[in-house]
Amino acid sequence: MNNLSMYVARESGLHNLHPLTKSLLVLCLLTAGLALPGRWIGYIIFLAFILPLALWGKIFWELIRAVWKITWPLALSVLLIQSLFWGKGTPIFEFWGIAPKEEGILFAFISIGRIILTMSDFILFAMTTRPDTLMISLKQVGMPSGLAYIVVTTLQIIPSFQRKASTILDAQRSRGLETQGNILVRSRALVPLVLPLVLGSLMDVEERAIAIQARAFGAKREETSLIEIPDTNEQKIFRRILIILIPTIILFRVLWQLFK
Amino acid sequence: MLDSIKKDFGTRTLVLIPIAIAINIAIGQLVYVLKLPIYLDSIGTVLVGALAGPWAGALTGALSNLLWGILPVVTNTFAVPFFYVALVIGLMAGFFGRRGVFEKESPRWLSMLIGAVFFFTLSFFITAFLNLNTDETGFTTYPTPGELFSRYLVVFVIAILVGAAIGYFLLQKGGYAGLAGLATGVVAAIISAPTAAVVFGGVTGGGTDLLVAAFRASGGNIWSSVMAQGAVSDPFDKMLSYMVVWLILQSLPARFKAR
Amino acid sequence: MAIVQVSNVTYKYPLTDVPVLKNISLQIEEGEFVAIVGPNGAGKSTLCYTLAGFVPHFFKGELTGLVEVAGMESSQTTLDEWVLNVGLAFQNPFNQISGAKYTVFEELAFGLENIGVPRDEMRARVNEAMELTGISDLANRSPYSLSGGQQQRVALASILVMQPKVLILDEPTSQMDPIGTREVFGVIRKMAEQGMTVVLVEHKVEWIAQFADRVIALKDGQILLDGTPSEVLTSPILEESGFGISRYTSVARKAQELGLWKKDRLPITLDEAVEGFSLALAPSSSPNRRGEQLP
Repeated sequence: MNNLSMYVARESGLHNLHPLTKSLLVLCLLTAGLALPGRWIGYIIFLAFILPLALWGKIFWELIRAVWKITWPLALSVLLIQSLFWGKGTPIFEFWGIAPKEEGILFAFISIGRIILTMSDFILFAMTTRPDTLMISLKQVGMPSGLAYIVVTTLQIIPSFQRKASTILDAQRSRGLETQGNILVRSRALVPLVLPLVLGSLMDVEERAIAIQARAFGAKREETSLIEIPDTNEQKIFRRILIILIPTIILFRVLWQLFK
Repeated sequence: MLDSIKKDFGTRTLVLIPIAIAINIAIGQLVYVLKLPIYLDSIGTVLVGALAGPWAGALTGALSNLLWGILPVVTNTFAVPFFYVALVIGLMAGFFGRRGVFEKESPRWLSMLIGAVFFFTLSFFITAFLNLNTDETGFTTYPTPGELFSRYLVVFVIAILVGAAIGYFLLQKGGYAGLAGLATGVVAAIISAPTAAVVFGGVTGGGTDLLVAAFRASGGNIWSSVMAQGAVSDPFDKMLSYMVVWLILQSLPARFKAR
Repeated sequence: MAIVQVSNVTYKYPLTDVPVLKNISLQIEEGEFVAIVGPNGAGKSTLCYTLAGFVPHFFKGELTGLVEVAGMESSQTTLDEWVLNVGLAFQNPFNQISGAKYTVFEELAFGLENIGVPRDEMRARVNEAMELTGISDLANRSPYSLSGGQQQRVALASILVMQPKVLILDEPTSQMDPIGTREVFGVIRKMAEQGMTVVLVEHKVEWIAQFADRVIALKDGQILLDGTPSEVLTSPILEESGFGISRYTSVARKAQELGLWKKDRLPITLDEAVEGFSLALAPSSSPNRRGEQLP
């Protein structure tokens, strides 16, 4: 597999699950983590469900590493800003005019719990699911093939666009474009970078449209698929349970709020 | 409406969308690296809206945010929950596009007027937020316009002048596009504030965080801080994005516009 | 019955005033290998699009005249049907990769999935196409990790897998390096030898001279010449128009003006040039010294 998505190829039970099963599972965990009452629910779901699933999927350390990488700068900012700028609150210490507030720190940790839950949930899914098999399974339940095309193609061409942007950046720099300095300087750098990138790309659109139509894409025909995705009856039942569970959790929270 | 949707999604559009999403991400990353207090991650979305219509624009926006989350390029996974904002941006760009906003030229004085009004309104809201008073009982008093004017008259005058100048030089003949962008930005700011405040406590890791911190330090609570940051960044950011798309459409040969 | 029949075709792109194709008529028999030469803006790409069905269905615009290919007629048949019989490949290999598949094998199957071909047949056809184009060893690679020449062969294979009756190629080697060019030409030649009807737009005249059955010269939307390679490529009309002349022909023409060229036909290939100049030069000179003029 290429590095265009977070997919990590492993032989595991989680990997072999049907993509739809995984999608629903991940969605259910997210809903539970964000909608269920309780301040620390984010951490609970993360520890009780996501980490064990990661173990099953043999991506435990990759998950931890990725979650850490994504979350720590965010967590740090949240912690700093919420504790220091909380407004009226009880400071836990005072040092040269800097007084972090207890309420702020608490709020920060609650937010961080949510962040960790959301990120890890997503990463768990991305690491164990190939985007193209996901798209195929979605097509099988009625998603338009145009959408499948869009998702996978986007993932594949993004690196070439990043390279294009980088090339244009270098080319303009060698022509004397300043990209460091005060805010005005940096802002002025934008237009000569953005315009060539976009204009150049538009020229490709027509050719690419012709190319896929030459391969009979876009016609209203019965499509077949080269790749077969394994599925089991147990999973089908499990999916049905999840489909009912998710709105139930939301409903539960709504009622709980109303009758608190 | 179903015909309106189908009309948007011909082969050219299907091919355009991945390219537009890639443009969103490539430029958004560039801006993030340059640490400018804007996003510019919607140029592709606005472009699709302008060229292919509101539904295609909406899809482009939503997918951009969602797909950005799967990339190993970690810098912008926080964009995912805001997908609905990007969706609305694409939708609005499409509706504005159908009204020809990206093709018409506006007189320069209109651009000046738009710039002036925008900056005036902006400074009005900023000074209002800075002077919100929430006392211990939780009662929030808003300053009256009279109080604001008397205290900050100079600021307002400068804002109007600066706004007019920016309108003249930046917007030039793209006044309609700029105005549409401002409107979109305002809507974007409003609808993104709840998610920003709820999910992230107002912090996203980019240059805009400094603005949030600044507002917090001056006494606003988290809701008003996030909204204030949105009020500054989003309209300007979307105005810029619309302008870029306007410029692009002006430079395209006629053949491309016949879709 | 010719497999391609174009009669009095004139075409204008939408929102333009000047027709790009002016009253074009031509006929191609099944199995012929026809090359098209001409300066930029002559209408070569438009002609390719017309034969491939994209004009007028994709580009809209105004088309008058009759276009018949492989039993289809352009006003009667939709583009979706047309592409099943006519394959089109063009310059930029990157734009021809769909982007929707992660491996070369799957990429080739993409078109077959769209048509609804059953899985087993898909695998057979893909393997066959990979053999033809010499890319079997690339089957599990990502199309985006390949060189230009490899990508272009993948593009060709993904068209061949659809089993078209006519193959249209618009400057397929323009963006290739010499190795890529050789690889692509190798595939084209193989297809032609197997009896495929090929229409190739090219600037590399020396190659066309060796392998094409016919050459059509296009200029300003009109057909200037239509005949065998040696007829067309040595014609003075071509010389006047300033395109389509191989190095060998122009050097030999110079030699002819100086009275040094003994044959009545100018050469269009290296072999012919070598042959001709060997006659022209003194017997003691080595036949390797070609293109030399005696003082």
